[in-house]
Parts: sequence; structure tokens; C-alpha cells
Amino acid sequence: MKRYTSTSLGNFLKNNLVLVGIVVLIVVTAIIEPKFVSEANLTNVMRQLWPLPFIALGMTFVIIGGFIDLSVVGMISLAGVVTASLIDPLGQVGAILCGILLGALMGYLNGRILTSVGAMIQAEVLFITYGMSSIYTAIALLLTNAETIRIARNTKPITIFTTLGSGTVGMVPVVLFVFIVLLVFMHLFYTKTLAGRGISLMGGNKDAAFLTGYNVKRGMRLVYTISGIMSAMGAISLVSRVTTATATSGIGYETNAILCVVVGGTSLRGGKGSVLRTMLGVLLVVLLGNCMNLLGLSTYMQTVMRGAVLVTAIWLDNRKEL
Amino acid sequence: MKKLMALLLAAVLVFSLAACAGDAPTGDSPTAEPGVSNEGPEKPDDSTEKPADSGEEIKVAFITQSLSNASQAYAWTQFQKYADEYGFTVTVFEEDYDPQNGVAAIGTCIAQGYAAICINPTDPSAIIPALMEAKEAGIIIGMYSSEIPPGNEQYRDFMCGTDDFMAGEVAAQTLMEAFPDGANVVEVGGQSGHDAQIKRHDGFVATIEGSNIKVLDSQNCEAWASEDAMAIMEDFIVAYGDDIDVVYCHWDVGATGCIEALKNAGMEDVYVIGVDGCSVGYDQVREGTQALSIGQSFSQMTQDAFTNITKILNGEDFEEVVWTALDIVTIDTIDNFPYPEW
Repeated sequence: MKRYTSTSLGNFLKNNLVLVGIVVLIVVTAIIEPKFVSEANLTNVMRQLWPLPFIALGMTFVIIGGFIDLSVVGMISLAGVVTASLIDPLGQVGAILCGILLGALMGYLNGRILTSVGAMIQAEVLFITYGMSSIYTAIALLLTNAETIRIARNTKPITIFTTLGSGTVGMVPVVLFVFIVLLVFMHLFYTKTLAGRGISLMGGNKDAAFLTGYNVKRGMRLVYTISGIMSAMGAISLVSRVTTATATSGIGYETNAILCVVVGGTSLRGGKGSVLRTMLGVLLVVLLGNCMNLLGLSTYMQTVMRGAVLVTAIWLDNRKEL
Repeated sequence: MKKLMALLLAAVLVFSLAACAGDAPTGDSPTAEPGVSNEGPEKPDDSTEKPADSGEEIKVAFITQSLSNASQAYAWTQFQKYADEYGFTVTVFEEDYDPQNGVAAIGTCIAQGYAAICINPTDPSAIIPALMEAKEAGIIIGMYSSEIPPGNEQYRDFMCGTDDFMAGEVAAQTLMEAFPDGANVVEVGGQSGHDAQIKRHDGFVATIEGSNIKVLDSQNCEAWASEDAMAIMEDFIVAYGDDIDVVYCHWDVGATGCIEALKNAGMEDVYVIGVDGCSVGYDQVREGTQALSIGQSFSQMTQDAFTNITKILNGEDFEEVVWTALDIVTIDTIDNFPYPEW
């Protein structure tokens, strides 16, 4: 009985390491800095989450499909500056819709190029999406001449952006409600639809997926289009939050998104993962940054910590496979 | 159907890009005095004549850290704007924040017979050997917006620029004047380890030392990103709340993030200082959300550099170090300066 309990606890810890990590982080930080568990800081953390959950959600599908997407940097930057620039000519709704459509187009284009050149392994995909990212960023730079676009300068109202960026219901940011609806939809898509399960099949074994009649090329285009849409939505939430858009605003989000996905337990080999667990990864990464700021750790130390978390997550993932 | 969708999406892309494409900036009339200016621009010195017309093309290279940096992209437009006036042909080389690219660019300039190089390097120490070669090849070397490390001045002909250390000093001096009874400051630094971040911090800290200004906390960002600055500011608000009197942010666009965080926390009376003097900073000063923006005039810096190159080519005396004035932009002085085009 004792051994059974011990094994159960071991299995629980093994399967819920992120949750355990979050709890440990909260407890330790709360002891050192009690303000960490104040209402103000909880609101703070919920605000600081964005735009990472959107980007990590898109990246989850790409990684489950067995690929990687470094083009999110360029997609966020370009979608952000285009959306911000279109508020005056098209109004808020028009600008947001164009931004999301642009994200879908960029994602689809990535998938189309990857399937056209026959890129099927992660190394090829990595470099091609990196190249695409450079192109999108360069277009954003050409459009803005590297200048910052400030949405408050627009003559048309920016109420939707203001609500998304800083609006709250009680202490919960409005953007969180929008995201929860999206998350539930994407979770159901992944777990309940043939197309969603097909992504997992493709990531697990592309040859086997092909032999079962699954259209791998279409699957690739699907996951990259999802990533593009999510990047654009992330860009819109970012513009709403900081009220500015720059041609380099997407820098760094690709590594953070991959970090969240891997920490959430999605295997870099593809085939298995969970959109819900990715959100735990997002929470851990954002909490980590918040804790380290409150504890006064330097930026260099914070980078070390993030790197250590990523390496540990991949190591644990590999251990599970053994 | 799929082709129709693809066409539709392509049309949206083209329409979006066309709709948001704007004109490139064209430059402004800068300040000319070294040091600090509250007075606005003076006319550029036009006493220097173009170099003697030998019929040969005079090629000047601008080697910059990255054109993805708004200030450097603007500086490049100023090189293009004033090149004709001085009779130069200008080319830009990007380091892309990699000093090796700067070294390679200097090598290219030597091979292609450039007359002068204006360089704003990512790492001033890393390019010294390459600058030695360029000097031996007879190329005029001008440091632009960044000085060569002390003791190596013989490897450049001149330096034109603002001093980031001075920007930190000016921020501190203005703050001490605004708060004679003392104040609590939080510092939101620029990209961690970046030359400008280090100097803007050092200048500030050195000036307030021994004064009644207290730095509650100081954190740097991973990149020059407004989002990073906003997150740090939000954490400062949680940690120090109403104790914060002043925010010193190393750049105006970062100050936007700080201002948003303060607005969300209902702390709109905090005194915010930013550095750069870009259009975002000017807007915030005019709106009253930012108390001070410490501006740099790249237009003046470029003309100073061109004037020195011309003088050297003509064999005239020139100033080895030309400090471009820092513009002190407050609500009282903002009308003295032209609206920045970056």
C-alpha cells in the first residue's frame, strides 16, 4: 500500500511537473516577497501574459505536427504595423480583420513554400521559416522606415484596442475572456475533429500518416496557417497593450513560444501534446519573469533562468521517451 | 475554390500593404551647439565649401549597428539628404548588431576606395584593428554617435555625436532641479549590455551620487521593446506603489510602455523622463504624460560629420570632437524644436 502511494505520487509529479513548478515558484516567491500574492500583482500577471498565449497556441499546433515556426517574429511585427496603420483608413474592426487575414495569408504562404520545396524535416523548416521571418520583418521595416507607430495618434476611435489592452471585468483582463473562447474552440478542434487529430498523426509519423490517406501537405499548410492567424491575434493584443507598433516588435517571441510549448509537455519530436498544457507553460514562463523582477534579479540572470528551464524541459521530455 | 481563396488573401495583403505605406521621412533643421539646448535649432554652418572638384566621385560609407533601429534608419535618411549638398556619394552598411559585419564592411570600403567612413559600431573595441587598416589606406574615419575607446583616438580622425553618458547626466540634473527636496526613482534601462544602456545608466548614477535622489530599483530590458519596459514598470508598481515619484526610462518608446502601466495603475502624476527626442516622446511631452525627453539631433550630427570630411579633404583645420547638442524637450521648450521625423 505504501509502495502504491509512493508510486502514485511519483507518477503525479512526473506527469504534472509544470504544475508543481508553478506551485513551488509561487510559494518560494511569496515567502521572500509577500507582495507577489497581492491582488495588484495577480492582475499584473494576468496583464503580462499577452501576447504570448496566442503565439504559443499557434506554435503548439506546429510542434505537434512535427515542425517548428520561426517566422512568428516577422508575422507579429508585420501584422502589428499593418493593423496599427489601417485603423485610420479602415476603422478598428476593418484593421483587426485585415490584420488577422494578413496573418492567415503569411501562415498559408509559409506552408505553401515549405510543401513546394519538400521541406519535411525540422532543420529545413527551421531555416525556411527563419528566412520568411526576415522577409516579413523587412517588409515591416520598409513600410514604417523603422519608425514607431503610435495608435493614439489615429483620428479614428481606438476603443476596441483600449478595451483589449487595458480593459478589465473585475480584476480579469478582457483579452483573457476572448482568449478562453478561442482556447476552448482550438482544444475542441484538436481533440474532436478529424483534421485536428490528423495533425497529431502527421507529427507522430509522416510516412504512416501518408499511408493511411492523410494529406500531409495539406496538414502542413493548416498548421502554419493556424500559426499565422494566432501570431496576428497576438500582434493585435500586443499593439492594444503597449499602444505602439514597431517593425521589430516580434523579436524574442519565437523562443518564448517554443519554451512555453515544450515546458507544457508537447514533444519537440511532434505527434503528441496539449493546447491546454501549453497554457500552463505560458503561465510558468510569465510567472518566472514576474518573480525575478520582484526579486530584483538582473536581466542576465533572468535569461540564464529561462534557458535553464528550457533545457530542463527538453531533458525531462527525453527521459520520458526512454 | 482554393485558388480563389489564395487570390483573395493575396489581394488583402497587397491592399493592406498599399494602404499603410507612407512617405519616408525627409529630415529637419537641427540644433548646432554642443552641450545642451533649450533653444531650438540654429542654421547649419555653410562656411565650409565643397571639396575641390577633382571630377572624381567622393564615396562616403555609413556603417551602422542596424537599420531596424529607428534612430539609425533616420540617421541614414539624413546622410542621403545632405550628400548632394556636400558633393558626396553615400552608401550604407549594416552590422546587424554583429561587430564582424562592421569589420567586413570596413574591408569592403578599403577595397573599393572609399574616401571616408562614418561608423556607429555595435562594439567600438572590436573594430579597432579594421580601423587601423582603413587609416593606413588613407580613409578618413569619423566616429558617429559613438566614441572609440579611450587611448585609441589616433585610429579615427574625428567624432561627431551626442554622449549617452551626458544624456544620463542631463536626466539626473533635470530631475534634481525638478525635485530639490529629493525623490524616489525607478530606472527602466534599455537593452541589457548595450553601449547606450550602460552609458545612460552610468551618467545618471554618477550625477545623483550623494544627492537626495534615491533609486528604488533599476532593471534593464532584454531588447529595446516597449512591452519589456511596460512589464518591468508594472512589477515596479507592485513592489513600490505610491513611493515612486519618478521614472527614468532610457528611451521614449519604452517610456510609452511605462506610461501605459502607470495609467492602468491610476498613477498618472509620476514624473517620466525619456531619452531620444523621437516623435513618440514629443507627443507624450505635449500630452503631459512625459515630463522630459532628451533629444539627439541626427540631422546636425550628419552635417557635422560631412563638414569635417570636407575640411579634411580640403586640407583645412577641423574639430576633432564635435558634441552635438542634446535637446531638452519639456512642455515649456517643445515649441522651440522642429517636430522630429523619426
